[in-house]
Amino acid sequence: MFRVMLYNQWKWSRLIVLLGSVAGFALPIVSVQGAARADASPLVPAELLRTVQSWGVLYPVLAATLGLLVAIATWTPDHRGRHVHALLLPVPRWRYVLLRFGAGATLLAAPILAVTAGALLATWSATIPAGLQGYPATLAVRFALAVLVAFSVFFAVAAGTARTAGIILALIGAVIVVQIIAHVASVDLDLLGKLQIVILNWPGPLAIFAGRWMLIDV
Amino acid sequence: MTNAIEIQRLCYRAGRTFEIKDLDLHVPPGAIYGFLGPNGCGKTTTIRLMLGLLRPLAGGITLLGEAVPRDVARVLARVGCVPEQPHLDPLLTVRETLGFHAAFFPTWDWPWAERLRAKFELRDDQPFGRLSKGQKGKLMMLLALAQRPELLVLDEPTDGLDPVVRRDVLSALLEYVSQRQATVFISSHLVHELERFCDWIGVMDDGRLIIELPMERFKNGIKRLRVGGTPATPDNPPFVLLAREPANGTGETWLVREWEPQMAAFFDACGVPLHQVIDLDLEEGFVELLRTFRGPRA
Amino acid sequence: MSRTRWLLPFLACTRALYGQDQSDLPRLKARADSLAREWRRANAVANAIDSLERTRALAGRDTIRVGALTIVTNPSPLPLREAAGRAWPVIDSVYGDDARQLAHRPYAIVAVDPDTTVERPPRHSGIEVPWDQGVASLTQLLLSSVPVAPADTALQSWLGGPLRPLADPDAQWARVYIELVTAPSHASRRCLIGDIGGCRDALDLAEHGDALLRWYPSPPERQAVVLKSSAYFDRGAQLATLQTCAHGSDSACTRLLRSLPPGGLPRPLTYDARATLIHVALQRGGRAAYHRLVTSAGLSIADRLALTGPVTVDSLLSLWRARILAARPAPGALPPLGIWIALGWAALFAACGLWSSRWRGN
Repeated sequence: MFRVMLYNQWKWSRLIVLLGSVAGFALPIVSVQGAARADASPLVPAELLRTVQSWGVLYPVLAATLGLLVAIATWTPDHRGRHVHALLLPVPRWRYVLLRFGAGATLLAAPILAVTAGALLATWSATIPAGLQGYPATLAVRFALAVLVAFSVFFAVAAGTARTAGIILALIGAVIVVQIIAHVASVDLDLLGKLQIVILNWPGPLAIFAGRWMLIDV
Repeated sequence: MTNAIEIQRLCYRAGRTFEIKDLDLHVPPGAIYGFLGPNGCGKTTTIRLMLGLLRPLAGGITLLGEAVPRDVARVLARVGCVPEQPHLDPLLTVRETLGFHAAFFPTWDWPWAERLRAKFELRDDQPFGRLSKGQKGKLMMLLALAQRPELLVLDEPTDGLDPVVRRDVLSALLEYVSQRQATVFISSHLVHELERFCDWIGVMDDGRLIIELPMERFKNGIKRLRVGGTPATPDNPPFVLLAREPANGTGETWLVREWEPQMAAFFDACGVPLHQVIDLDLEEGFVELLRTFRGPRA
Repeated sequence: MSRTRWLLPFLACTRALYGQDQSDLPRLKARADSLAREWRRANAVANAIDSLERTRALAGRDTIRVGALTIVTNPSPLPLREAAGRAWPVIDSVYGDDARQLAHRPYAIVAVDPDTTVERPPRHSGIEVPWDQGVASLTQLLLSSVPVAPADTALQSWLGGPLRPLADPDAQWARVYIELVTAPSHASRRCLIGDIGGCRDALDLAEHGDALLRWYPSPPERQAVVLKSSAYFDRGAQLATLQTCAHGSDSACTRLLRSLPPGGLPRPLTYDARATLIHVALQRGGRAAYHRLVTSAGLSIADRLALTGPVTVDSLLSLWRARILAARPAPGALPPLGIWIALGWAALFAACGLWSSRWRGN
């Protein structure tokens, strides 16, 4: 069952997975290009950290994009058939959802492995100045978790009906409207700031995306 | 033995206007049950309720002795379905579609599937999305049959297909049924098609089951009677009087159900002249039935 | 004490008048004595006023003592005792025997209602603290305003500020590590890789040579320093030189850096690095170390640190460097339970996919 599900999703996600893997492999290598050179200049560490940090912004972006696209591709065959075929299969719903989730997550292993390989290669080939160290494994684990969280968030949203998506959008819109009204009325209410703190700080759901993504750090 | 399909006091509502109310339906094991009704009467909704795609408001559904929707996953392993619309993954080829489907059905019969594929002239490498309507219909029937089901639930399986394809599909179905003694529940509005092979008939209109009886009784029992004069409505007739209307100013035409030849004596006893007993085919009977069902309320 | 300031011009006048005419000398002397008496009287009055204000401010005051640390405060919900309990060991470890001064130099803390809108009169003594402060911030406050007699200006000038106990030593040492690794200075780079002479140069402990060339020997470093301070040079006549420097002219960069006032050249290693070095010396030197440090004013900083240690300054620098390398901060990746938390969220959201109405057969 899992094999056919994986194959089915591969047909829908292969382009995303391939492009994501190429991007994931290239990103760590590109991020240290130029900065991590065999140069004893005392300017190198700061420059290297700055470069690595600025490229590091792209890891959570890539993770979120991959999670979103693969989650959409995961449910597309079912949405096309209005879920009739899925609902007529002799498996409990939870098992079907688990199969879909597992297949999507398995496909995402490719870009995760690509980031791992790219990070290892970049760290191995770069001349890292004294005092700095490469963290390819940490970066890869973090990327894997971010991809998984993004995939599961969008997987849940994509599994829902248009009504569910509408409710989620309406909730987000309502928060923004309340914030605007509070701002106009000069009410001391920072709803968005509080939400941001709750969501982006540990143990918030998207905390894995926040902070610095450093392949090379002190 | 319990019925293959047993529906009791089923209620469902969709929107403000459509509802299925207190639907009772019984399909004996081994029967080929034709489920008739005009478009929009609730046939597809009833089938979707039977297959667990919708959740009823009230009432009970049992398929092959198991309750739906509670045990729907177990039931579906024994039920072959052809839904109204083809719904398969458009990217998968015929071969991949068969492989996907086979993985979920433990009773899948690959040799039988291969024979059907050859018979239906379906190419292995053709994506489902590029199949013609007829080919899609054949593939849907192939999937339903190759899993060797005990019960087939078919929602307008030949709708929109050309006569040749329709013949192929129905012959494959009948071949399977004759081999396996499977029960078939087939919905259609192509009445003459059902007349050829159904042994039970159920007629639905406006969310209600009007009639449910063996095909023979349906075909033989519905008659149009030409009677002389305008007699009073008889008390306790042995048949069911569905409708009466004036005919050419000299008498009336009665539409009756559950008619048997010896019932002519009832008219003699009442002193009402019975001029003619006219046989109706299934389609005529179906149309008359609908007309009388809708008439009083109109 | 500020009330006595108006007397100073009078005293200055007396000195100015002194030389005017020898014949007026007795008269002027008498006048000066009179002014001095006035000054003493005014000083006494000012002290009395200060004392009165302090008494008023701390009416119904509490005195909190932990070790020699003494806090005089008004009754409030502030957790001062807990904060003092945390601050005292740190203060004691830094100032050693000199920390006993605190028994005679109490902190004066005025707890105020943070929510009141009633305007308060200005206070001239004591530290106002809103009484919703927590123990951590109070501890920080106590550590940053230890009322021990301040060290001399030479030490403060070298250090870049007054010497204070390390409020968050781990974070401070970690900051020094980052500073040492990333400072755009050849000297600090040499220090990082183990050259103690480099440490001496980077911390400005060498007693000879040009600081600019010791700290930033190469043209790219000098250019980097100028560009980092471009906001300072980006005006007037220096603008053109700055542009020339930005285009790669080392002489322009050097000229700009030499135009800075004494002590204005950006230091490769800043307050944290220097403060941690002093703390190494204080820890190494025992309870009398702080006393030795403050009483050795007049010697060079290197000699004073060696006296405080009491070991050679190179030994101190070795200890300091080893401590920095040991304090390398963990990369800011995941908290200890981060993996499990992320996996938990992923599982929760995946389960939400099951919750979709599509799967409930409605």
